[in-house]
Amino acid sequence: MLGALDKPTEGKVVIDGTDVSSLNSGQLSELRRRIGFVFQFFNLIPRYTARKNVEMPLIVAGVKKKERAKRSQELLESVGLGDRMNHKAAELSGGERQRVAIARALSNNPSYLLMDEPTGNTDSKTTEEIMDIIRRLNRENAVTTIIVTHDRNVASQTKRTLEMLDGKIVRG
Amino acid sequence: MEVSEILAYSASAIKLRKLRAGLTILGITIGITALVGLLAITQGFQVSLQAQLQRGFATDTIVVTTQNLGFGYEIKDFQLLVSDVAIIDKIDNVKRTVPMIQKTCFGEFENHTILLNVVGVDFAKYESIYPESFKLKTGSMPEIKNESVAVVGARVNDPWQNGTYLAGLNDDFEIIYTTRSDFEFTNQSFPFKILGMLDEIGGATLGGPSDYSIYIPLNQAESIFDTNETSTIVVQAEKSDEKSLTETSDAIEEAFDNQVLVVSSTSIYNTVSSVMNQVQVLMTGVIAISLLVAGVGIMNIMIISLMERTKEIGIMKAIGMKNGTVLAIFLSEALIMGIVGTVAGIGFGYLLAWGVNSLDLLGGMISSATEGTIMGGIPSTPVLTTTNLLSALFFGIAVSILFGIYPAWRASRLEPVDALRYE
Repeated sequence: MLGALDKPTEGKVVIDGTDVSSLNSGQLSELRRRIGFVFQFFNLIPRYTARKNVEMPLIVAGVKKKERAKRSQELLESVGLGDRMNHKAAELSGGERQRVAIARALSNNPSYLLMDEPTGNTDSKTTEEIMDIIRRLNRENAVTTIIVTHDRNVASQTKRTLEMLDGKIVRG
Repeated sequence: MEVSEILAYSASAIKLRKLRAGLTILGITIGITALVGLLAITQGFQVSLQAQLQRGFATDTIVVTTQNLGFGYEIKDFQLLVSDVAIIDKIDNVKRTVPMIQKTCFGEFENHTILLNVVGVDFAKYESIYPESFKLKTGSMPEIKNESVAVVGARVNDPWQNGTYLAGLNDDFEIIYTTRSDFEFTNQSFPFKILGMLDEIGGATLGGPSDYSIYIPLNQAESIFDTNETSTIVVQAEKSDEKSLTETSDAIEEAFDNQVLVVSSTSIYNTVSSVMNQVQVLMTGVIAISLLVAGVGIMNIMIISLMERTKEIGIMKAIGMKNGTVLAIFLSEALIMGIVGTVAGIGFGYLLAWGVNSLDLLGGMISSATEGTIMGGIPSTPVLTTTNLLSALFFGIAVSILFGIYPAWRASRLEPVDALRYE
């Protein structure tokens, strides 16, 4: 719901001062371009290269080719994948895929990042790498990140933690 | 999203399943091949029929015959006599009558003996009815009726179309006519001299001159074949409008108590072209069905593709793709397959028509169907028109888009949350 992928049956979701319920599908699509999604299962498009995956939100938004190339290179370099840019997503390891997914989420300069179990499918070392990237982005680029996780170690590294149980916030 | 990016995205999705897309495209290709190829062939026949009418057919002629027309008429026992022209001459609107005596004989030339279609006619009258086709290339038309002279059709003298001529002008040859009484066969030989060679006509028609015949004076035919029965009487009318021709035809039929077949060239042409139109309608139906099947194939594949890529659609929607863009992506997939299939189909259809033409399958088929009747052999070659090609292109693409609409619409309506959860 925070990603404007679903509409609430009750109450209101307000993103950037807009009530999500009041938007039509076109406006919702526009809104989603201002949110960066990172999924548990990466959800990259396997037949495309890492670079093309990162460029995808820009292509959808109609950004010019030259600008897309520049932006995707910057982003992939910043997540440490400068040398893997032209590999297909299917050829990358889990950690690499997740970093590509983060780069993709950032490509549209989103208002915030929404991460659904970003470390749910990674080993502890990769988890550490990913948390490093998130912290650095937050510090250097001032990107707000919302992480949904079962991993208390990951949760402990955030600035604010809300704990949920059976759909209700129980602490925080 | 830019159009070029939409097309690139669709193309990449098609490439993912090459075999499947290939088979779907094949469906369209087959439909379009049939469309282009078969239309070219039927139109070819119509065009040659028309050309035939303008060339060989004299539109002011009516043919009176006891012969079978090869189109389902029954054979009758009645015989026309040469002297029957007197009856026809008395009928209104009749200008000229030419009785023909037609027999199949052997012709013995210097080096070859071949089967001949010998026709006895009155040269002067026959020439004035068919001035366009009964035309000499060399030599002259016989004037004195009881001389043993002949005029040879172009194909008779060059039967293998390779420059091996049977005979030259003024050469002598023999007509061998076989008679039979009970079980006794008698061969009779008659010497003839070639007085003229006809120009090539290119097919023969109803009563008209033919490349495959040899012409001798009528009274010669009467005497060597010992007969006064005629197979065909060609009648030239004064007024050649359809109404007058019908009236004259009816009058002739009545004069012979409905025992003869009376047809005008115009009525034959009308009958044949209406048959051709029906064939074309039938064929169009078959082609339409094959295109429909191809369309269902596209729809089927697109729905499978939609199910397989539900999650991908969810991802694309999550990164901000609009419903309209999803629709466009799926439609352009159908469009790409349609265009490839159609273009290939036009190519194959062209090859089909070309193959049929170069192997002379069509000409052979139609000639053999009409040969031996008084219509003679009608040669035919397939015709490809720009209109046909454009309509093939239009139908191929239209079918793909039409059957792509439903899957594309379904893809565009997917809810992103559901699509992302889909496994």
